[in-house]
Amino acid sequence: MTISKEKKQNIKKKEIDVESSFYYALSHEIRRKIIKIIGENEFTSFTYLKNELGVSTGTIYHHLEALSDLIEQKQDKKYYLKKLGAYAYNSLKDNIETIKAPHKEFKSIFLNKLMLLTSKRFIIFNKKDRIYTLLISIGIIVLGTILCVLNGFTSFFLFFIEINIENLDSLFQILINSSFILNFFAFFVIVELISRIFYKKSENTLNLLASFALIQFPMIIYLVLHTIFNYTAFISINIVNFIDQILMIGFQVWSLWLLSYSLSVKKGLKIENSLIISLLLHYGGFTLLLLTFI
Amino acid sequence: MQLKKNVVSFLLLGLIGPILLIISEFFPWFSSYNLVELFIITSFAEIENSFLFLFPVISGIVCLIANMLVIYNIEFRIKTVILSFVGLGFQLIFFIDYISLEVGFLTNAGVGIYLGIFGFLLIIINIISVLTRVEKDSGG
Repeated sequence: MTISKEKKQNIKKKEIDVESSFYYALSHEIRRKIIKIIGENEFTSFTYLKNELGVSTGTIYHHLEALSDLIEQKQDKKYYLKKLGAYAYNSLKDNIETIKAPHKEFKSIFLNKLMLLTSKRFIIFNKKDRIYTLLISIGIIVLGTILCVLNGFTSFFLFFIEINIENLDSLFQILINSSFILNFFAFFVIVELISRIFYKKSENTLNLLASFALIQFPMIIYLVLHTIFNYTAFISINIVNFIDQILMIGFQVWSLWLLSYSLSVKKGLKIENSLIISLLLHYGGFTLLLLTFI
Repeated sequence: MQLKKNVVSFLLLGLIGPILLIISEFFPWFSSYNLVELFIITSFAEIENSFLFLFPVISGIVCLIANMLVIYNIEFRIKTVILSFVGLGFQLIFFIDYISLEVGFLTNAGVGIYLGIFGFLLIIINIISVLTRVEKDSGG
């Protein structure tokens, strides 16, 4: 009975020791780097580690010793990950992905289906895709401006209003014709302010700006379809007019979803909070629009 | 128990809002005709946006379905919100198109407009209440 109790205590002590060495190993940046280097290359030599880390030989030996439970030096003098080291490497890899892209995967099937409509690649974008994201964003802004001018629309958040600009001053005409660009910046500033004031989230401002135009992507599709209806005069047919309005609602909801997702990813907000911001903006914009009419 | 709790918390806002929107369809907004009558008249006259007069009832039905989902199961709250966005989209277009047309008669507004605006506000408050409900599971 006493032996069994002692055995159990020994096992528990061993587990605690393993856990401690695991977290101790991960607590230092150089040790984390060593684990990543070995994990990515399967094994590594001391010289390679020295070149990659750029620290003194003594420092590397000190950290290698601290990692004795996680790595081992085999007969070929190369360093390999032990079982615990492999766990540590996988854990580091998973955590980095989670930190880089929170809410990347949703539990709900419905949300995952919605993600099919969301270009995660250009909203989350890595360094390699940054230039493409910027080009797409600029393309959306330019195309949106052209389509608004062609349809005689003034862009207001996710709404488009028809305004007769013929009797207006040339300055107002220029302003209304560039409403899509002005609306883009105004929209961004308001979103940024809401997330800073209400949710104290000030990170990733430039990254959010770089991909912010993607939110208007569904509205560009709507504008293209509306232009086709308009120029073919189909818009005057009752049912086409109805379809046009339904399309607008559908694309607005898609845009609102993109806005919520972008905020969730870039600002680290819960999807519920991002949806509240989208809702406040959309219906706040609508109230302003209605007050303008009245 | 969960069902009962959600029914109590979402019943007032979530169901009364859409029902008010649906009812508003059968009351006059700016003229002596209600919206169903206006739809029939404009359809016969082949006016291009006659379907606009059906938007409050479409909006009410979509929001009603959305809110039934969240009353049935709180886990469906994101679905409810997205569906409510779709439903309210119809009402938004109706407000913008119809009120801008009839803005001159705003002082003679009928019962319909009050029911419509009140129902619309209740739905928005309900969405915020659904989203701010603290849940352990935040994945939707």
